[in-house]
Amino acid sequence: MRRVDSLRCSLWGRTFGSPVMLASGTAGFGLELHRMGCLEGVAAVVSKGTTLRPRAGNPPPRVWETRMGLLNSIGLANPGVHHIVREVLPEADSLPCPVIVNVSGDTEEEFAEVVSLLEGSPVPFGYEVNVSCPNVARGGMSFGADPLVVERVSALVRSASSRPFSVKLTPNAGDMAETAMAACAGGADAITVCNTFLGMKVDWRTGRPAMRRGVAGYTSPALLPLVVASVHAVSEAVGVPVLASGGVSRAEDLLELMAAGAEMVQVGSLVLRRPCAAGELLRDAGELLR
Amino acid sequence: MAEPVPVDAAAELVEAEAPLPCVIRQTYRLPSLARTAVPGQFVQIEVQEQGPFPMTRRPLTVSDVDPSAGTFTVVFEEVGGGTRALGRCGRGESRRVLGPLGRGYQTLPGDWLLIGGGMGAAGFPLLSRRVDVRRTLLGARDADHLLEAGCPNVSCATEDGSRGSCGLVTALCEGVDWEEYDHVALCGPLAMMEAVARLIPPGRLDRVQVSTESRMACGWGVCEGCAIPAVDGYLKCCTDGPVIAADRIDWNAWRETLP
Repeated sequence: MRRVDSLRCSLWGRTFGSPVMLASGTAGFGLELHRMGCLEGVAAVVSKGTTLRPRAGNPPPRVWETRMGLLNSIGLANPGVHHIVREVLPEADSLPCPVIVNVSGDTEEEFAEVVSLLEGSPVPFGYEVNVSCPNVARGGMSFGADPLVVERVSALVRSASSRPFSVKLTPNAGDMAETAMAACAGGADAITVCNTFLGMKVDWRTGRPAMRRGVAGYTSPALLPLVVASVHAVSEAVGVPVLASGGVSRAEDLLELMAAGAEMVQVGSLVLRRPCAAGELLRDAGELLR
Repeated sequence: MAEPVPVDAAAELVEAEAPLPCVIRQTYRLPSLARTAVPGQFVQIEVQEQGPFPMTRRPLTVSDVDPSAGTFTVVFEEVGGGTRALGRCGRGESRRVLGPLGRGYQTLPGDWLLIGGGMGAAGFPLLSRRVDVRRTLLGARDADHLLEAGCPNVSCATEDGSRGSCGLVTALCEGVDWEEYDHVALCGPLAMMEAVARLIPPGRLDRVQVSTESRMACGWGVCEGCAIPAVDGYLKCCTDGPVIAADRIDWNAWRETLP
């Protein structure tokens, strides 16, 4: 843990005046936010999860607001890596901040295959390896639960990539510090802590779940202390930067996650409500530090 | 003309009323939106600044605009905690409003038929100002859920018979000569829209513009939360719609999403 007195931070040889990154799945590739003038204060955009083949995503409903948080079951809807390399990344090159491409795979080898294809684009600053999605049948969270699989996926991505990458962990299984060490043993250059928590909404009248897959990913400002604890545990266990993700709803949360051991902090669901949240958080955090 | 970029701004609530027992009509001052919003577009209103609920905004159709006063109006039913909290917003208070969002109706020349179910008619007043509406067919549970204001030449049906004929709006549609109209606007609950779409000759479905609705998070195209089943995959209600041609929708798949 440390006392936070500055918002300056660095990742993979680059320094940033803002620690705020946009979490995967809540900002696309940053193009819509750029059009709305909302990328001020954004150090980097972590893209929507990218897979080898296009994915239509899960049947609706895909989002469900509960009394204290938001469930989502998107199912990695995306047009596939070929389309992204050809159509999306060239446009993202004009953004005022770098893009970290989040990658997913159905198999261990597929992660490396997606990364190999992304290597053909000059645009990505790095990658985020998503071994933690709770909303898909294969890959995703089931990979992230096993440190041996995480180490193998990391090593495969390492051999396919000339760029640095982070591994995004799941909070839903295993010991995050142990899994983080496995990711680093495989060659990870950062650890993202963490993906969404497994949640479910059941309609007691019908006895059926609200969402088709039953379970979904849960986000909420109430999760902040859980993420703070995990960020602390992981940052004590590994030597690479920790990217916190989860529970941020105000500037104090940002500073608290940095104090707990995060080098940078991702903002997710908040951006869905406040597209310009990064700039607002940065301004508020600056005032708190004055 | 390039599409206007949605703006997120604080808008003052200048008028609030309950035209029907469960229905709220709110008028906000936001001159840029009053100038640029087209029929069928929507706004995302932030219910409250802090607190865990609601985490997302509430997407509401722009019911009407008054460009000279710089105001726009939304009409909604209090159905859950979010809309109830928004309904408590008092005159003089401000809320963040993001908009205009989405693709609205293609306001083409010709004779229009409007078909609405319950709160689905909320967007018809603005549409009626911009196109030539010959007839409006409305259905609702009861008279307390029937939005007639701003709709020309209304025929209506209520399930309890408290206003208009007793029954469903589909009964009113059965008498329609679809060749008489160049364009149809359809908006209401999914089951109602699907039943109406089945009555329309398949060859005419391309002239039916459906104002879709979905649970929604961002409203500006990134979260993929508001999927509408379409004949070629999913469309995003927020940016591919909310107004989508009836022949692009996979009605069977969409119906399966009903609880």
